Amino acid sequence: MEIRPILSALLRSKTAPLLIAIQVAISLAILANALYVVSLRQAASARPSGVADESSIFYMSTRPLQKRSHVDTLAQQQRDVEALSAIPGVVSVSQTSQMPLSRSGSTSGWSLDRKQQRSSASVSMYFSADPLIKTLGLKLVDGRDFNAGDISELDTEVEDLDKKFPKGVIITKPLADFLFPGASSVIGKTILYGTGDSAAETRIIGVVERLQSTGASIKPTGEYSAIIPVRISTPFSRIAVRTEPGQRDRVMAEAEAVLRKASPVPMIVRARTMETDRIERYRNERALVWMLLAVCGLLLLVTASGIVGMATLRVAQRKKLIGVRRALGARKRDILRYFIVENFLITSGGVVAGLLLAVGLNQLLVSQLEMTKLPLTYLAYGAGALWLLGLVAVYGPAWRAASISPAIATRSA
Amino acid sequence: MFRYYFLLGVRNLRRNPALTALMVLTLAIGVAASISTLTILHVMSGDPIPHKSQRLLVPLIDNGPSRGYVPGAKPNDNQMSYRDAVNLTASGQGERRTAVYGVAGAIEAARPDLPVEDANGLAVENQYFAMFETPFLYGAGWSEAEDKGKTKVVVLSRKKSEKLFGAENPVGKRMRMMNEDFQIIGVLDKWNPLPRYTHLINGNGGSLSGEDEMFIPFSVAIALQLSPNGNTTCQGDSNPGFQGFLDSECTWIQYWFETKNVADRAALKDYLNSYMSEQRKLGRFQRQQPAQLFNVMEWMNWLEIVSNDTRLSVWLSFGFLLLCLVNTVGLLLAKFSVRAPEVGVRRALGATQGDIFRQFLVEAGVIGIAGGITGLLVALGSLALIAKQSKDLAVVAHMDWSMLALTIVMALVASLLAGLLPTWRACQVTPAIQLKSQ
Repeated sequence: MEIRPILSALLRSKTAPLLIAIQVAISLAILANALYVVSLRQAASARPSGVADESSIFYMSTRPLQKRSHVDTLAQQQRDVEALSAIPGVVSVSQTSQMPLSRSGSTSGWSLDRKQQRSSASVSMYFSADPLIKTLGLKLVDGRDFNAGDISELDTEVEDLDKKFPKGVIITKPLADFLFPGASSVIGKTILYGTGDSAAETRIIGVVERLQSTGASIKPTGEYSAIIPVRISTPFSRIAVRTEPGQRDRVMAEAEAVLRKASPVPMIVRARTMETDRIERYRNERALVWMLLAVCGLLLLVTASGIVGMATLRVAQRKKLIGVRRALGARKRDILRYFIVENFLITSGGVVAGLLLAVGLNQLLVSQLEMTKLPLTYLAYGAGALWLLGLVAVYGPAWRAASISPAIATRSA
Repeated sequence: MFRYYFLLGVRNLRRNPALTALMVLTLAIGVAASISTLTILHVMSGDPIPHKSQRLLVPLIDNGPSRGYVPGAKPNDNQMSYRDAVNLTASGQGERRTAVYGVAGAIEAARPDLPVEDANGLAVENQYFAMFETPFLYGAGWSEAEDKGKTKVVVLSRKKSEKLFGAENPVGKRMRMMNEDFQIIGVLDKWNPLPRYTHLINGNGGSLSGEDEMFIPFSVAIALQLSPNGNTTCQGDSNPGFQGFLDSECTWIQYWFETKNVADRAALKDYLNSYMSEQRKLGRFQRQQPAQLFNVMEWMNWLEIVSNDTRLSVWLSFGFLLLCLVNTVGLLLAKFSVRAPEVGVRRALGATQGDIFRQFLVEAGVIGIAGGITGLLVALGSLALIAKQSKDLAVVAHMDWSMLALTIVMALVASLLAGLLPTWRACQVTPAIQLKSQ
C-alpha cells in the first residue's frame, strides 16, 4: 500500500485534515456519551411495571364533597366496586390506595429486627382488601393470595395502623430478595412495619414477581412494594378496573356515570388510564431521548458535510496531479483508493483523539451530573459509526477524482 | 471603510453560494441547538422575584428522630410540622411571615344540574399576598382578623373566577366549597411566577406549570381538618385522628419569612436557633442540627428544580456548537483560499495586512449575522417542538428578549472566532507570488 506518500502529502498541508480530525473527535465524544444516555433512559422506560396488559387497565378516583364516617365510606367503597363490576366488559375490580406509576401514594420504612436503628427498606404501600393481584394481573411466584380471613378494617380516626396491622402481607420478589438474600423461600418469615418497639409484626404470605412503586424509581427501590390487606376509610378513594381487551375506553366512559349514580351525595369522579400514567411518568425521559437523538443526527450530518467539503477541496486542488498520475498509468481504482485511504487515516486520527475525549467528557458528566461510567461498547460503536461515516462521505468526491480524465494533464491550467 | 467591507461581505455571500449556504446553515443549527437548551435552563433557573428574592427566606428545621441518624445527613423532609409553623407565626419574627400548604376541595356549582368542580389551592396566612406581591384583579386579600377569627373567605385565581362566574366581579358573593359557605373577597389577576417558587414542593401541577386556583386562610383549613394535598413525611409516633396529626412531628407545611432588609437574615437565624434550643428542653429536635435559612434562589437550588437532564442537554448542545464552529473554520478556509489572487492584488496596490485582516473578519461577521438570523428561526421552531413534549416544557420554552439578543451575539462571536484562522491565513498571502502566477 502507498501509505507513506499519502502520509507525507498529509503532513505538507496539515490544517484541513486537522480540522476534520477535530470534528471527528468531537463527534465521537458527544455521540458515545449521548447514545449511552439514550440507552439508559430507554431501558428505564421499558421496564415492566408488573401489571399484565396495561392497555386494559384504568382507575377511578372519587372524592365526596364532605367528610363522611368510617362506616359510610366503607359502604360507599363497596357500592362503587359492585356498580363497576356490573358494567359489561369488566373483568375485575379492586379498590386500592394507589396505582403503580401514578406518582401519588405512600411509602413506609420496614425493618427485620426491633433492635435496628434504621429501617431496612422503604416500601411502597398498596392497601387493598380486594383481589388486587387478579385485577392488576400480577404474577404470584410463591405463597398464596389473600383469603377472607386475612382482611381487616381500620378506622384511622380512632385506630393506629401499627396497632392493628394485618397478620399477613404480600411483597414483591425484589423486596424479598433484598430483605432475605439467598433465602429459598420467604413465605412465613416475619418482618416489621416501622422500627423499634412500636413496630408492627407481620408475616409474608405471598410473593409477586414484580409490582413497581408509584414513582417507579430507576433505583432498586422502584420495585419494593407490598400489598396490605386492609380496608381503610380515606377521603379519596381509588378503584382499579380491568376490562376485556379493547373494551377499556367504552367501559371507562360508562364508569363515570355509573359511579355518580351510585353515590347518594355529589362527588368528584375522575377516570384515568394506566397508559396515561405511564406516558406522564416517562415524559422527561422521552423528551431527553428525542433531544439527544436529534443532536446526534445533526452531529453526523455536520461531520459528514465537513468530510465531503474537505475531500472536494483537496480533489479540486490536485486535479492536475491526478491527471498526471492517470497519464502515467495509475488506474481509476488507484486514485479512488488514494483518497479513501487518505480519509481513513484522517478519520482514524480523529477517532483515536475522540476516544480520549469521550472518556474525558464522561468523567466530567460523572463528576458533575451524577452519570454512570461509559461502557466500552459505546466507544466501540461510536468509533465504528464514525469510520463508516468517513468512508461513505468520502466516496463521492473520491469517485469524482477517479473519473478525472488523464487528458487533463496535457492541458495547461 | 467598515461600511464598505460590510457591503463587500454581503455581496460575497453570493460567491460560492453552496459553500456559503452550508456555512450559514451549520452555524445556524449549532447556535439554535445551544440557544434552545439554554432558554429552558435560563427560565428554569431564573429569579422569579428579583427585587425581593434576597429577603424572602425559608426556614428549615430538622425535627427527625435521633434514632439511626447519621450526623450531617440532610433532613428527611424539607417541610415543617404544624407545631413549628404555629410557633413561628406567633413569634412575629421578620417583617412578614406565612405558612403555606396545599389543599384540595370541591366546589358546588350554583346550579344543581352542573357537576361538582374540583379546586386545588393553598391554605395561607394573610401576609402571603403582600409577601409575594400577587396582583389583584378585584378585591384584596384578607387581614389578620380573618386569620384569627377563622372567617371563611376565599381568594380565587382569575381563571377559576372566570370559569365559575364569567367576566363579572364576584367579590362579595358566596360559594359552596368543601361543603361550607365561603365569601369571595378577592380575585387574583394572571400570576404565573416561574418557577412557582412559593410552593415548590407538591405545587399543584408541578413546579413549573399548573396554577393555584384558590387561597383560603390557614386557620380555616385547619379548623375544617383539610388534610394536606401533597407530600407528608411522618417520623416517630403519632396519635390517630386529625388532632393527633397536628400534634405529631409529621412535616407537611412550607413556611416563609420576609425580612425588612438583607442584613436581618442573621438575626432571624439566631432567633430560629434559640427557638430550637427552647424546644429541645421539651424533648424535641434530638438531632442537634442548627436551623437553616434559604433565600428564594438558594431554596430552588436546594430543591434541585433544574434537573441534571436539563444541564446535560445544555452541555451536549454546546459541544455540538463547538463542532459546528470547527466545521465553519474549515469551510471559511476553503472559501478564503480561492481568493488569494485578489488579496495579492490588493496588497500590491498598498493595502496593509491589517486592512486585509479587517476586511476578511468583517466578511466572517456577515456570515455570522446571517447564521444568527437563520439560527433564531430554527431555535424558535425547535422550541415550539420542545413545547409539544410536555406542559412543563411548554411553559419554559419561551424566548425572551435577552435570549433573542444572545442568539445573534453568539452567532456573531462564533463566526468571528471561526474566522480568525482563515483570516490570518489570508493575510499571509505574499503578493509577489500571487501576481507572478497570474
